[in-house]
Amino acid sequence: MHRALRKNAGFFYILPALVFVGLFVFWPLGQLVYLSLTDTSLLGGGKFIGFENYFKAFEDKSFWRALWFTLKYTVFITPILMGLGFLLALLTAPNRPLRQITRGIIFLPVVIGIGSSSLLWFWLFDQQVGLFNKALIDIGLMAEPMVWFTKADPALIAVTISITWKVIGFGMLLFVAGIQSINGEIGEAALIDGGSYWQRVWYIILPLSMRVILLTTLISVIGSMLAFDQFYIMTGGNPRGQTFTSVYWIYQNSFISFKLGYGAALSIILMLIILVFSSLQVALSNRSPAT
Amino acid sequence: MNVPKRWRAIAIAAISTVALIPGTSFAATLSIWARASSSNAAQHMIDLWNASHDDKIELTTIPDNQMVTKLATSVQSGDVPDLISFDLIFMPDFMRAGLLTDLTDVLGADPNQAKVAQAFKDLATYEGRLYGTGFTPDVSILLYNKDLFRKAGLDPEQPPKTIGQLEDFARKIRASDPNAYGYYFSGSCGGCNIFTQAPMMWASGATLLPSSADGPAMEGTGVKEVLTMLHNMWKDGIIPESAEADTGANFQATFETGTIGMQGSGGFAIAALKANHPEIDFGIAPLPGVNEGDASSFVGGDVIAVPKGSKNADLALQFIQWQLTDDAQLNGLAKNLILPSRSDLADNEFFKAEPRYVTTAQAVGIGKTPYAFHFNDMVNADQSPWLTMLQTAVFDGDVDGAIAGAQETLRSIAAQ
Repeated sequence: MHRALRKNAGFFYILPALVFVGLFVFWPLGQLVYLSLTDTSLLGGGKFIGFENYFKAFEDKSFWRALWFTLKYTVFITPILMGLGFLLALLTAPNRPLRQITRGIIFLPVVIGIGSSSLLWFWLFDQQVGLFNKALIDIGLMAEPMVWFTKADPALIAVTISITWKVIGFGMLLFVAGIQSINGEIGEAALIDGGSYWQRVWYIILPLSMRVILLTTLISVIGSMLAFDQFYIMTGGNPRGQTFTSVYWIYQNSFISFKLGYGAALSIILMLIILVFSSLQVALSNRSPAT
Repeated sequence: MNVPKRWRAIAIAAISTVALIPGTSFAATLSIWARASSSNAAQHMIDLWNASHDDKIELTTIPDNQMVTKLATSVQSGDVPDLISFDLIFMPDFMRAGLLTDLTDVLGADPNQAKVAQAFKDLATYEGRLYGTGFTPDVSILLYNKDLFRKAGLDPEQPPKTIGQLEDFARKIRASDPNAYGYYFSGSCGGCNIFTQAPMMWASGATLLPSSADGPAMEGTGVKEVLTMLHNMWKDGIIPESAEADTGANFQATFETGTIGMQGSGGFAIAALKANHPEIDFGIAPLPGVNEGDASSFVGGDVIAVPKGSKNADLALQFIQWQLTDDAQLNGLAKNLILPSRSDLADNEFFKAEPRYVTTAQAVGIGKTPYAFHFNDMVNADQSPWLTMLQTAVFDGDVDGAIAGAQETLRSIAAQ
């Protein structure tokens, strides 16, 4: 009895976590999979229809267009968040009072809800009362106020600016942690050998921060692939549905068109796509040197 | 405490007797859910009821876009409010889904129900049975800036009576002031436009949304004419560029800048403009049609119903009947400058000082509301056929193609 208990001690230790994950991850996921195989509407129903929702999804041009736009947004915003976040981290990593305050200020928008920040930026970009247009006119970059949300590309840029302001502090903080964990002696040795600041960044800090960079990229990519609030509030999917993200389209189907079953199928497809991306990044991360 | 057995028996008998006397009961508290945009009006009505009844009502405000989800899930879980006030446009879907209690026997015999605006009676009827009635209505109207009318040499007391006049007036306003625009609409908002542009179409006889797969869709005089008028104004810069991207966020705000000559709006605009922009001299008129005398409106606002599973359904029904009485309609709504749902009370003592309210109240009587299942799919969704038609016609100029595309998609949605 005792031997059996001892043999399975590890299992008993992780049992609470397994129960928790089972209840709050796998059970709802199972429900979602089942829902995706039915014609459930928000107003009732729920007949089993097999893979019909999935076949429908493959023919749903709007979904694939939304997915394509989501990928475009992800590819567009991720390098900005990574590059700018890393540069800010280089600037604020040393623990000196002014740099710590700067770090705090840059991090501040992270604690604001994404809904609030999107609303704030929506009005900042407004053609008539927005300060953003006024600032661009005042510094001579524009002759007259611009309507940011009538074309897909300016709309994408507007959302990217708002999200960069909102989340850049989070990436910066992770990078700061990564930079600060690098053994200082390595940098000192490079300094003695005559390495310039940017040479130290390129040959020491960057390679030794790679795991943090990949982790931050992973978080950023997942966040971008699941983008919803910012587009819902700032563009409403416009112009003409050109800024619909995948999650926005799932929301439209589930809660505006009441098609919960179909929305569930789209969610499963999106989850699988994100899973593939994440797995690739985790595999890359495992091949990177540890700091 | 040691109470003699004899006294205890007397006390129990007394309590039981009181409880068994017909009409003797303990006061109950009813719950009502109302969507955010109508909760202010609902609260006035509830306050009036609570002041004069032992049974009280408690209001819970639900964000507009969560109402359908909340109601559907609450009915399925059996935990519903006693009453529900929601956008009347969802009545067909809710009735067909069996989420509401049949009120035909009581409301059908109520003389006040006969005086309720026809749009509410139509929308609350499914397969000949009545499932709700009018509660807090609102209607669409044409809002116009009298100062800009004067500047353009137009008579501020003579708003346009046809869509041809509307376009003509809009052009004159634009020509009179480089900072002013003749007309405005939220070009990326399906709901805003079914409220404000659709009445100009059906005022001339058009049928817009099909209620069945073979029903008429975007047919009749008015559809092409209104779309063409809007396209012409857009093409010539009579409508501001920002209209194309407006998802409804600037539906009211743009007119408040004082640079818009005319726009479709709702009765709610009167109180908002009076309170927040007393400097704007504005007028209210019915939305015109193709020919003079074709005016119409969209009757929006909230219907009141009893969800299936209500624990106090009888009392809830009492409230519904009470809110249709003269006292409730006048002192709960009109006194607070909110439209009554009964058309016969449009001209009341509270609106006398503000004739603009009489115009809106009369619009309740002449207005319509489309009876359609899948209204969200057809109109409100961001890529709905209604919105796509409007955008393709107005911004791209392909009016005929836009109408044909909408007809096909609308019928396929109605077939679901």
